[in-house]
Amino acid sequence: MIKNKLNLYLLQYAINSILRQKAKNLFIGIILMLLVSILTSVFLISNSIKYELSLTVDALPQIIVQKIKAGRVCDIDANVVDGILEFNGVTDAITRVWGYYYFENAKVNFTVVGIEQFEKQYKDNFENIVKKFDFDTLEANSSMLVGAGIKKIMTQNYYNNYFNFVKTDGSFKKVYIGGVFDSSTQLESNDIIILSKDDAREIFGMDEDKATDIVVKVANPKEIKIITQKITSKYPDVRVITNEDLKLSYENIFNYKSGVFLAIFSISLFTFFMIVYDKMSGLSSEEKKEIGILKAVGWTIDDVLKNKFYESFIVSFIAYLVGVILAFGFVYILQAPLLRDIFEGYSQLRTTFELPFVFDFQTLFLVFFLSVPIYISATIIPSWKIATLETDEIIR
Amino acid sequence: MIVLKNVTKVFEQNQNNQVIALDNINLQFNEGELIILKGVSGSGKSTILSLIAALSKPTSGEVIVDSKRISKLPDNFASIYRRDNIGFIFQKYNLIPTLSVKDNIALPQIPSNPDEQELQKSLSNVMKRFKISHKKDTIVKNLSGGEQQRVAIARAHINNPKIIIADEPTANLDEKLSLHFIDMLKELKNSNKTIIVATHDPLFFNLDFVDRFVEIHNGKIN
Repeated sequence: MIKNKLNLYLLQYAINSILRQKAKNLFIGIILMLLVSILTSVFLISNSIKYELSLTVDALPQIIVQKIKAGRVCDIDANVVDGILEFNGVTDAITRVWGYYYFENAKVNFTVVGIEQFEKQYKDNFENIVKKFDFDTLEANSSMLVGAGIKKIMTQNYYNNYFNFVKTDGSFKKVYIGGVFDSSTQLESNDIIILSKDDAREIFGMDEDKATDIVVKVANPKEIKIITQKITSKYPDVRVITNEDLKLSYENIFNYKSGVFLAIFSISLFTFFMIVYDKMSGLSSEEKKEIGILKAVGWTIDDVLKNKFYESFIVSFIAYLVGVILAFGFVYILQAPLLRDIFEGYSQLRTTFELPFVFDFQTLFLVFFLSVPIYISATIIPSWKIATLETDEIIR
Repeated sequence: MIVLKNVTKVFEQNQNNQVIALDNINLQFNEGELIILKGVSGSGKSTILSLIAALSKPTSGEVIVDSKRISKLPDNFASIYRRDNIGFIFQKYNLIPTLSVKDNIALPQIPSNPDEQELQKSLSNVMKRFKISHKKDTIVKNLSGGEQQRVAIARAHINNPKIIIADEPTANLDEKLSLHFIDMLKELKNSNKTIIVATHDPLFFNLDFVDRFVEIHNGKIN
């Protein structure tokens, strides 16, 4: 039964045809492979970023209250917390002490976060960190916890046990490395330093009764808007940012990146369709003659088209497979050099940022349908046009 | 039996460059006959062969082979008819130049998906018969004209067809090779196949083993 269905001689003939036109098929295969590789890379990076952003956005506080002075964000009085807690619906209000510290040697920004072990933490990750590490010892020894990426950068710059922060008054603050922590996302574990609020205030030159901002938790997410209005009414000198606002700003940045991807995607598709158009525009005289000869010796139109299908499927599917494998290697092993440069400058994503592995069948199917069937059609349609002519006309 | 009944073939019909290749022809070829179609270039010999082989369709009239109206066959059925009944030796051989001798000869068998052993046996027999076995793996474009013709003849025989058609078989051969082809033709005659040769080569005109000569002139039978 199988023998009747699958004609292995036709398959063999198709492979033979590919090998007979080695140079041409190799060239088309390489171009197709590169296009598949670029397209898949774009989709894989896009998926990884989306995944990473979704984790980041989920971890964002519901409301952030910042003090504005002369149109710029400045330190907020810690006692504003008491006023916010008076509003119905507010379950918690926590001061945050944090900021960026620019490390000149490595030309990177560290995110320095101060936390108090007995306070309620505004992030679950910090609760875990407080439980996991001995904060009494850390505070007593003026030590800090660093993310894996920071530890790597510090070690590269010979800060194996401690780091000297330059304070706002120009003096140094020596802080020991008390441990290296992990968190649920790559983004945090790489560029965050956690130390006591007192040490953080000292590094940033902040008064004891001040905080960077206040994080507010609301029981019912539907009330966020009303509570925001109440806060701004009571404290006209503050700016209130909701997680929806932050989500939008992340999405805007991501949409910009998507635009760049779209450009690369469009160029790849354009190149692919140029090849398709070229193929559709007709067969060479040798190819036409071969179809004529095959028909003259008894091949039916179906036989000719099956042969062309096998030929184009083998070329395009191999190109697709190699292209996809290359894309996975390029994105997840090499971390997408060149394409990754597009992300640089985005404050949440550092040069040490690693693209998380996201395997998405839909992406693979999409790239497959954008490449293999189109290439097969581009091969079969002109062959069909020729094969349906009168045989005598083709070989004449 | 092959019958051409009131066959007319017009190329580029209703256009300025319209050509009437065959004009209301009636012809009959009996089984086992060797017929030479004579005539100058452009007289319509090749068109008759093309119609018998179902490579083209008549503009009007009918081509009947063994009681089947092959001129009415749809394209796919015409291909199957050709595969089962016709061995065509083209003037320019029409081989695929980048394939080996063996692969060229096997071409008519591929669509039938034959058993591997049967195919190898047929190939071996036909290559031996037409003395091309020693070149079986040679790429056809590297063969001489005479060798290419032997490959074309072998290919025409691989399916053991009832009808052998040869279109100007000696047009590209020197006299020695042409005489060699005539020897092969004599041998083929003994296999009780219907053989139709279109030629204007005088070497064919005095052959004693030919059953009939048919002369074509300007698309008509003289």
